[in-house]
Amino acid sequence: MELTTTVNDETRVVEVDGTESAVDLVRDGLGLTGTKLVCGSGVCGACTMLVDGEPVLGCLTPATRLRDASVTTVEGIARRGGDDGGGDDLHPVQRAFAHHDGLQCGYCTPGFVVDAVAFHDRWRAEHGTDEPDRQAVAEALAGHLCRCGAYEGIYRAVAAACRGEHDAAGGSGEHVERVERVEAPAKVTGAAVYTTDVVRPGMLHAAIRRSDHAAGVVGPITFPDGVLGIDVLGEDRRVRWAGQPIAVVAAETQAEARRLARELAVPFTPEPFVIDPDEAARPGAPLVYATKADRKEAPTASEGAPMPAPWDGNVHGPSRAPFLGTLAKRRIRSARSEGRKGLVELEFHTAAQLHTAFEPHACVADWSDPQYLRVWLSTQGVAAMRLEIADHFDLDPTHVEVVAEHVGGGFGAKLGLTMEAVAAISLSRLSRRPVRLVLDRHEELTGTGNRPGSRSRVSLLVDDDTQAVRALTVDTDSHAGIAVGNSVAALAMFLYDRTPRLARDVDVVTNAPPGAPFRGPGGPTIAWALEQTVDETAHRFGRDPIELRAQWDGNPKRQALYRWASALPTWQGRPATGSQTGRYRRGVGVAAGNWMYFVDPDCEVVVRVEAGRLVVSTAVQDMGTGSRTVLARAVAGVFDVEPTAVDVRLGLANSGATHGPASGGSRTTVSLWSTAVDAATSLRARIGTDLAGAPDGVSATAKRGGDRGMRAVPVTMGGIQVGRGFSAAVHVSEVEVDTRTGKTRVLRVHGGIAVGRIHAPVLARSQCEGSVIQGIGLALYENQVLDPHTGLTLTANLEDYRIPQLGDTPEIDIHFHEDGWDRVPGGGVGLGEVATISPAASVGNAIFNATGWRPLTLPVRPDRLLEGLRAGGAR
Amino acid sequence: MSVTILTAYDQRPDGLDGLDGPDGTGEFAYRAGGTDLQERLRTTGATPHILDLTGVPGFAAVERTDDGTTLGAGVTVAALARDLAGDYPALALTAGGLATPQVRTAATIGGNLLQRTRCWYFRHPHTSCFKSGGDSCPARDGRHLYGNVFDTAPCVHPHPSSLAMALLTYAATVDTTQRDGLAVGEVLGDGSDPTRDHLLADDEVLTRVVLPPPAPGEQAAYFRSISRFEAEWPLVEAVVRVVRDDAGTVTSCGVAIGGVAPVPLRLAAVEALLTGSTLDDDTVARAAASAAQGANPLPETGYKVALVEATVREVLERVRG
Ligand SMILES: Cc1cc2nc3c(=O)[nH]c(=O)nc-3n(C[C@H](O)[C@H](O)[C@H](O)COP(=O)(O)OP(=O)(O)OC[C@H]3O[C@@H](n4cnc5c(N)ncnc54)[C@H](O)[C@@H]3O)c2cc1C
Ligand code: SF4
Ligand code: FES
Ligand code: FES
Repeated sequence: MELTTTVNDETRVVEVDGTESAVDLVRDGLGLTGTKLVCGSGVCGACTMLVDGEPVLGCLTPATRLRDASVTTVEGIARRGGDDGGGDDLHPVQRAFAHHDGLQCGYCTPGFVVDAVAFHDRWRAEHGTDEPDRQAVAEALAGHLCRCGAYEGIYRAVAAACRGEHDAAGGSGEHVERVERVEAPAKVTGAAVYTTDVVRPGMLHAAIRRSDHAAGVVGPITFPDGVLGIDVLGEDRRVRWAGQPIAVVAAETQAEARRLARELAVPFTPEPFVIDPDEAARPGAPLVYATKADRKEAPTASEGAPMPAPWDGNVHGPSRAPFLGTLAKRRIRSARSEGRKGLVELEFHTAAQLHTAFEPHACVADWSDPQYLRVWLSTQGVAAMRLEIADHFDLDPTHVEVVAEHVGGGFGAKLGLTMEAVAAISLSRLSRRPVRLVLDRHEELTGTGNRPGSRSRVSLLVDDDTQAVRALTVDTDSHAGIAVGNSVAALAMFLYDRTPRLARDVDVVTNAPPGAPFRGPGGPTIAWALEQTVDETAHRFGRDPIELRAQWDGNPKRQALYRWASALPTWQGRPATGSQTGRYRRGVGVAAGNWMYFVDPDCEVVVRVEAGRLVVSTAVQDMGTGSRTVLARAVAGVFDVEPTAVDVRLGLANSGATHGPASGGSRTTVSLWSTAVDAATSLRARIGTDLAGAPDGVSATAKRGGDRGMRAVPVTMGGIQVGRGFSAAVHVSEVEVDTRTGKTRVLRVHGGIAVGRIHAPVLARSQCEGSVIQGIGLALYENQVLDPHTGLTLTANLEDYRIPQLGDTPEIDIHFHEDGWDRVPGGGVGLGEVATISPAASVGNAIFNATGWRPLTLPVRPDRLLEGLRAGGAR
Repeated sequence: MSVTILTAYDQRPDGLDGLDGPDGTGEFAYRAGGTDLQERLRTTGATPHILDLTGVPGFAAVERTDDGTTLGAGVTVAALARDLAGDYPALALTAGGLATPQVRTAATIGGNLLQRTRCWYFRHPHTSCFKSGGDSCPARDGRHLYGNVFDTAPCVHPHPSSLAMALLTYAATVDTTQRDGLAVGEVLGDGSDPTRDHLLADDEVLTRVVLPPPAPGEQAAYFRSISRFEAEWPLVEAVVRVVRDDAGTVTSCGVAIGGVAPVPLRLAAVEALLTGSTLDDDTVARAAASAAQGANPLPETGYKVALVEATVREVLERVRG
């Protein structure tokens, strides 16, 4: 039917069909792509728009409901704030989000902003400039989720806007307003363009036909006449997990492509499969990889190539990391037979955690010019993807361009050349038309990777008198579905003394979706096991858990963090374990984190002057981790101007752009910062600071290079050089456990991070806060669930896959220890991963402190907690 | 792929009661707020003919008379939470405690009663079960962490409607285009037919929900046990309404629980224990314990036995004040 609607004060006549939702009409029909579609099921709020002034969900509101209505999308919010004398047209809430950094990747931001504007306007009308408490804000915005975990900044922003501090541009009174994240204005107004927002003339839409069986062989696929499609199975024609892509088809509309994909005839011969890792490890279990050749097909769940290891059925490994390993085993064996107090042995289980970046995997490929391939890709590495695409399609890289202006999160799942890119490019080559392939949330939560589940057995032996570490063994089975190469136990080699120890990592493959690198791969998993074992040891000997770690720990940066943590009132006020008896029990826990230092020595940055303005550029991307801001601040510092006076060009890899680092392995900022400073410094040496007088186009380029004499491993692999030294973290968490309902609330988290100099403090804090939020998700809620009989992913929506909400956010206090990295250019290393290792483990230890029951299995859901307390685990 | 917005009925004197199915035999669906339907359409790609009820006169009307209060099927959950807080606090608190603010703004009482199950198998595009044309329940031998703890029916997922639970405590009735005065239990059934979430005919429109007159002095409490802050489907939810005399003795009450059985359960035994008591500690403890009586959990829902008791205890303590 045809209807008339007023959108952002403009009257539009549009054709809608009966089943369409408002978000589809607004994004696809009206081209207003500021509004985002994330969950499609009413859970996340990303699609929020105002209809006659009321916030509604675009994904659940029928498009017909917009008839004769007045609709305001995020693009129209600014004008609503226009007559407040602000000058910049932004609504106070938008300014507050920018000032308080209430965003990271920005994909959830339009939804938050629209709803927060409605809340703010209501609140101000009723309460003037009183500040709403966190509970009021959390209730009002309970319909929103943010995967980056920008919740602390969101609280700060909403409260400040309600206090009236952002009524005028530039701030009011003593509140001087700043834009911390240079692209924040584009993100709070919906102007930022993500891959999912890209529309090309004549574009086709693609959809994936996936297997609903966990294993089998697919016969030849015949596409119906006139249907453009490609087969995406490997040569062996084998399906190994439920949800695996089989074919991709393209059509004029997304709905049509989906229908074609659904109806495609797929000749399929089912085969036996195995979902449960315990069954998979048994002799006689169906083999995921039947032959040696098949095993080569196994994808890797970690960032590097898997270590060579033996196969036995579905068991791959162990890969061993020994240091006097036989001695370690012998000491533990005899301590066990002697029943020594100093031997603590525990077994831990973790569930698979899904990345679920809010921008799904998405690609728009335009190969309509046979000589030049342009690919818009939601990726963590534009430069690397350009080379990989060229390689995959056998092209000269100068004929390939990869674009990712804004990336709505990745968390490790967007590092490689994934199938949606290959499929879209292939279909564009066939059709000579642009082709768009965007995953829906169901696909995203099924097959785009996960932090694998695991079982770890830890044996830690300390001296009964001094508690000096005598031996440590860690055995981890990782459950990464069809993927191999997990490195979890091995991470235990890097902490606490050089005592005899043995780490063994095993992959147990099953017909489950593949794991993938996830922010600090293996880190939170090993911390959950090791840090609780340490805590248990401290408890057994009545030692202060921080002081015990300090006794063992050779890392001077973490020593500094221990001193900081010990002095925290939260720590000093912690109760004796198991001392509480009431319904609500509070507890405090600590955990330490450790991570490697990586850098991309090939990173090159260009600084030039264009029309009197500084422009800095390289082929890097910004997925909310701050590349733009880091580049702007580096150059601004050299020229002594505001970061907003520097234009940043990134998110484009072509033959004109210099190589930039991938956003992974915590290598981005440490590669960019000093390189940008060097380029700016040499430009300044040439032209001074008179930009207006500088010749247009004058430029300087610098290359990062390795840290001289500083590499731990003398090779650079895939843009990564392993640098010398470890970054460090310590988290102290306070929880409240409701022993009646089994619910755990995290009240407060202190995060101490030792990565040297912090180049963009506000953004760095946001990253560390987000790590805490994701750690809380891992600790308490997040749990991929598969059907045991089919291997289908049941948690394929954001209702059943539960990520932390605004109201679950504790008070978070981030402390940076900035010493100790002077030998690295710029004086600091990356923090994206080290900040993510210890939060969940600290929550586990806090629950133990509160209840006397140690949670060994993640996540600590109410059912587990109730069962644990009931079973008399409480001491 | 078409839509009828039923404003044609504007001209009909009989408004809501004049509704019937569309001409022809094609697939069709009624739509109210769309918060359940739109998600299912997106997932399945189905394109039925839509009969949109929102334009029908009286759809969102609240009428108060001496005989009680009549709620049009289109009264939103947000309106219940806001406008009935004084007269029907148990219903209002339940309404205010479900879903999210944006969902409550759009969702209707009729749609809430008639929404389809939230079982993760049912919502999965690649499974079929009793409720989606299949002939088995894969959750029973599969994963049913959020399943029933009173396992009394072939389908093991609880009925989703929180409002149905609250309406049970008022003995509210439901009118449709074909029948009047149905008890909530007659609308939802008892779960013995696992293919259905409600028993209305395909072309039957829920028109009104009728509540008895408000009980002066009614006090109420609602609570859901969940793992996060808010906006999560309940593991177990409970609601209580009581009227007490000057001495604090309960003269009448209603208690119901959800998230536990094929349909929400009104707990007559608990009500009997509470009536005549002053909600003293001992009575509350006994009443809460009796709430879980008869529970026969599934392999993964054993935890809900304790949670039923805990959740009922929680609302009783809250209503006691
Ligand atoms: C994130 C989220 C959390 C939620 N949490 C809860 C919760 O805790 N508790 C709870 O109870 N609900 C919850 N819901 C569900 C929500 O309450 C329902 O989706 C809503 O009440 C349905 O009402 P609607 O008007 O939008 O129905 P619609 O989506 O329009 O319709 C639902 C179904 O009923 C039919 N229908 C609707 N009205 C009529 C009528 N008058 N006559 C005949 N058929 C009709 C439709 O054909 C459709 O099949 C949640 C939903 C979301 C998205
Ligand atoms: S029958 Fe019920 S419990 Fe079983 S799969 Fe279907 S909806 Fe779920
Ligand atoms: S996309 Fe609409 S609520 Fe998530
Ligand atoms: S900023 Fe919220 S999802 Fe990334």
